[in-house]
Amino acid sequence: MIEAQGLTKRYGGLTAIADVSFKIAKGEVVGFLGPNGAGKTTTMRILTGYLPPSSGSASVGGFDLAKDGRSAKRVTGYLPESPPLYPEMLVREYLAYVAALHDVLRRQRPEKVARALAACGLEKMEGRVVRTLSKGFRQRVGLAQAIVHDPAVMILDEPTAGLDPIQISEIRELIRRLAAEEGRTVILSTHILAEVEAICQRVLLIAYGRLRLDERLDDLRQQGSLEQVFLREVQAAADVQGKAAVQVEAEL
Amino acid sequence: MNRLLAIAGRELRSMFVTPDAYVLIGVYMLFAGFIFFASLGIFLVQLQQIQALGMMQLLDQWNLQDIVIGQSFSTFALFMCFLVPLLSMRGFAAERANGSIELLLTSPASSSEIVLGKFLAIAALLLVVGLLTGSFVALLFLYGDPELLQTLAGLQTLFLYSLALAAMCCFISALTRSQIVAGFVGIAAALLLLILPVAADSSQSDSLKEVLRWLGSSSHFDPGLKGEIRSEDLAYFGIVIAVFLSLARAAVDSLRWR
Repeated sequence: MIEAQGLTKRYGGLTAIADVSFKIAKGEVVGFLGPNGAGKTTTMRILTGYLPPSSGSASVGGFDLAKDGRSAKRVTGYLPESPPLYPEMLVREYLAYVAALHDVLRRQRPEKVARALAACGLEKMEGRVVRTLSKGFRQRVGLAQAIVHDPAVMILDEPTAGLDPIQISEIRELIRRLAAEEGRTVILSTHILAEVEAICQRVLLIAYGRLRLDERLDDLRQQGSLEQVFLREVQAAADVQGKAAVQVEAEL
Repeated sequence: MNRLLAIAGRELRSMFVTPDAYVLIGVYMLFAGFIFFASLGIFLVQLQQIQALGMMQLLDQWNLQDIVIGQSFSTFALFMCFLVPLLSMRGFAAERANGSIELLLTSPASSSEIVLGKFLAIAALLLVVGLLTGSFVALLFLYGDPELLQTLAGLQTLFLYSLALAAMCCFISALTRSQIVAGFVGIAAALLLLILPVAADSSQSDSLKEVLRWLGSSSHFDPGLKGEIRSEDLAYFGIVIAVFLSLARAAVDSLRWR
């Protein structure tokens, strides 16, 4: 459902991600793990067609992003790190707008909006102005806009960042349910290990722009706690970086 | 097309649920109304003086059309230099500041649809401004007999000129996250275009003079506001709109590369 082939992204002299490749099958729920600044957001932005990669290719739902980005975007629901809301709109209006942007036909919009509202527990909030919602509800509206057009793929960038513990568990439960329904493929980034354990079946670990690990959670658990694995891999990545830096200095 | 209309519709709705558009258009109407009725008042006083002095030969040149309508329209054009940038500064700057640009750029909408959607919303708003402006000119027809066609030509020119400014401001607002910057740069650019023909007069070289005069907006709306529609002026406004909308599209495209 999602395929990345040798994705590399450079910003000027800075390499954000280098040669990232993975495949995600339909219905999988994958946690995209890594310390802050590891390249999670960059990878997700490439998968959503927001950023073009410097090299490499990616496809979502069988559509190559470079060749048929529009079809890929149509089957993708994306929740960026901060939900892309319009503060002055009503929740209902906003969702209908997002549906229209994603080519949902006018006569289907009310039904799809109602379903997204129900799925995210927002029925009572549909007539509220987005500005007046609490942070937890804004995050729900963010999730609702990511599913309103019934995408086969959901890409969620730190969906629980900045929420309180109760809201976090609610949002996690919501993501689990949305993933289970209709076998949606989900990729969600986080730096919270417990989140991966709570929601995901598979882990992609990225550190210093490189993919360090791609394994099923069950297999990982046999190697010790997720935290140990995480620290080990990030440290190993840092060592590689450190050595590389020394090498570069030597060459100069 | 659906996506374009969705973008334009959202833009328009958000202009009318926030007080911005009401306040800006309200203040414009206040000033425009004041200018219009003040110039009408002055005209009437002068007319009485001319009649009292018995200078009947002056009356032929002293007509309602040129003095009241022509002069007011020139002032309205100056107001547009402030109104249009302030109305359109939200455009892309606000979307970038609150992150909703990410929604647009990851949706199936193309850069052209996004730019045209925004432009269409402002165009609709400016049409309302044009109709409101036309409404008090219409009052003159109740009491006098101004030239209908000349007046309509003036209104059309005012509308075209505001569209050209809107296209320019659309582009400017795609370059920044700050609405204030977008607004001020827009006003500055509009005023600069307005005074270019003055700079042309002080220029030494003839070719530069021609270029500056052609680039300046006032040399293209002055004839129109007085009622004379020239194809070169229509072409000028068309070109300005097309150039700035293409630039805006390029600017939106470039957002995808950062």
